[in-house]
Amino acid sequence: MSLAVEVKGVRKTFVSGTVHKTRKQALRGVDFSVPEGVLWGILGPNGAGKTTLLSILANLLTPDEGLVRVLEEDMRACSMGILRRINFSSGHANFLWSLSVRENLEYFAMLYGLSGKRRKRKIEELLKLFELEEFSEVRFDELSTGTKQKLSLAKSLVNEPVLLFLDEPTVGLDPDVARRVRDSIQQIHREKGVTILVTTHNMKEAEILCEKIVFLREGIIRAFGSPQDLKGELRLGDSITIFFRGSLSTPSLEHFQGVYDFQVCNSTCRILVDDHRKRLPQILDFFVSKKLLITDFRIQEADLEEIFIALAR
Amino acid sequence: MTRRNFFTVLEILFWPVVGFLSVGLLAEFASLQQQMKGFILVGVVSMGAVQVCQLDVSYALLYDVWSKSLKHAFIAPVGIRHMLLGSLVVGMIRGGVVFFILIYASVWLFEFNILIAGPGPIFLFLFGLFLNAAVVGMLVCILVLLFGNRAEVAAWSLVSLMLLVCGIYYPVTILPGWVVGVAKLIPLTYFLEYIRRFYGFEPSFSLVLAKGYISVFAYLFVEIFLMKAALSRAKRKGILLKLSE
Repeated sequence: MSLAVEVKGVRKTFVSGTVHKTRKQALRGVDFSVPEGVLWGILGPNGAGKTTLLSILANLLTPDEGLVRVLEEDMRACSMGILRRINFSSGHANFLWSLSVRENLEYFAMLYGLSGKRRKRKIEELLKLFELEEFSEVRFDELSTGTKQKLSLAKSLVNEPVLLFLDEPTVGLDPDVARRVRDSIQQIHREKGVTILVTTHNMKEAEILCEKIVFLREGIIRAFGSPQDLKGELRLGDSITIFFRGSLSTPSLEHFQGVYDFQVCNSTCRILVDDHRKRLPQILDFFVSKKLLITDFRIQEADLEEIFIALAR
Repeated sequence: MTRRNFFTVLEILFWPVVGFLSVGLLAEFASLQQQMKGFILVGVVSMGAVQVCQLDVSYALLYDVWSKSLKHAFIAPVGIRHMLLGSLVVGMIRGGVVFFILIYASVWLFEFNILIAGPGPIFLFLFGLFLNAAVVGMLVCILVLLFGNRAEVAAWSLVSLMLLVCGIYYPVTILPGWVVGVAKLIPLTYFLEYIRRFYGFEPSFSLVLAKGYISVFAYLFVEIFLMKAALSRAKRKGILLKLSE
């Protein structure tokens, strides 16, 4: 499978001040590769280097060191060919304020070389896709935050990119609009087969959207994998709580496969397992075999929020 | 882009017309000879055209800086040369409109026809003015890329300073010696000297048209490299991102 993005040893330090210089290392040797056709997330706390990394990939920032290849071309050369096939949408959407939604889309369509009927058709398609038709003649500075965000996503598809960078696409949106924006992102990925790299610090969003996650902290990749992989790596398993009648000898659960931890307190047993779907039947069988009467049980899946907190510490 | 921007319309027409009327009426009040009045009117008409064209070149970046949308412009497959050239073409059209409106007003209100110099010299003069405006506009863009928002004041101040030095209302020879030295570095000085000979004022320097064009092209050539270097530095320092926040 060919790679959409290849990053090796990328470092970036920002220097501010003239006399008393302060240095902030934003990226400290980042390596990762993104195959074509995936929807991956870059997750991390504020100041982790997510936006810096995405800006380097989008040719808005030059790394101090390291190799960056986008669509199999070196970004140092940054040919117009690459720029024609990628696009970028930022959570803090800003466009020419005195232009309407349609005019902004027309402006960017022109920058990407679309003309005549093709441009008109594309703009109508995007206005429809993002439900922007009723706002098409409204000036950018009169739009709500959610509509600005939709315009930003619409703009990012104006050139039919094969690789899309989304920087915190739902930041500042209310839950309903955020859900619709997420639906749009999934739709773009599913229907158009666009490779998408999205940064977020919204754990739920990453869990819903992303097949795999690159977790950045202090400019270093701390973890990488699917949400399930990360749970296993951090031993942040699902929690099974069993309420029973009878007496349980605690060491007996220790040798079960996939059990990370367990606690027994009176008639309640809390067991931490890698995947409750795999482990629950054998655990229930064990309780039955010990002639313990199960009165109730509850399952709580580990979510990405726990992973985030564990990695961000 | 400027369809609904009232203040931009003011910049294009209002200020050049107000400046032209103020200076023209002052010349009338001072009962200047027709030739002397022509000297001043040529200056004020040129100033209007240069200012309008220069602002348009500066707007290649400034509109995106003000809208904080610079990163979207730079991720598009458009080079800075395309932006500048596009803005220069728009600036030349707008500057040309202002130039010819002021020429018409000059004939109508003050009975002085700048076009008596003939179409060839007027074309060479006007094209020189526009290239000079491009030099200043590009310098503004370079400064914005180097210093961010703090440099946007250069869009208005640089051209005013230049107009003061290069003898817009007076011959540069009346300026102190070292200022004349500075004026010699500005192509506009030569273009003004060139056109005024057609109204009876002998140039203070030799080969004024050649010097004007050579210097203006030299500046543009140097600025292309400076612009590339400034953009490269802006990408290294994260200025493009800061200007988009």
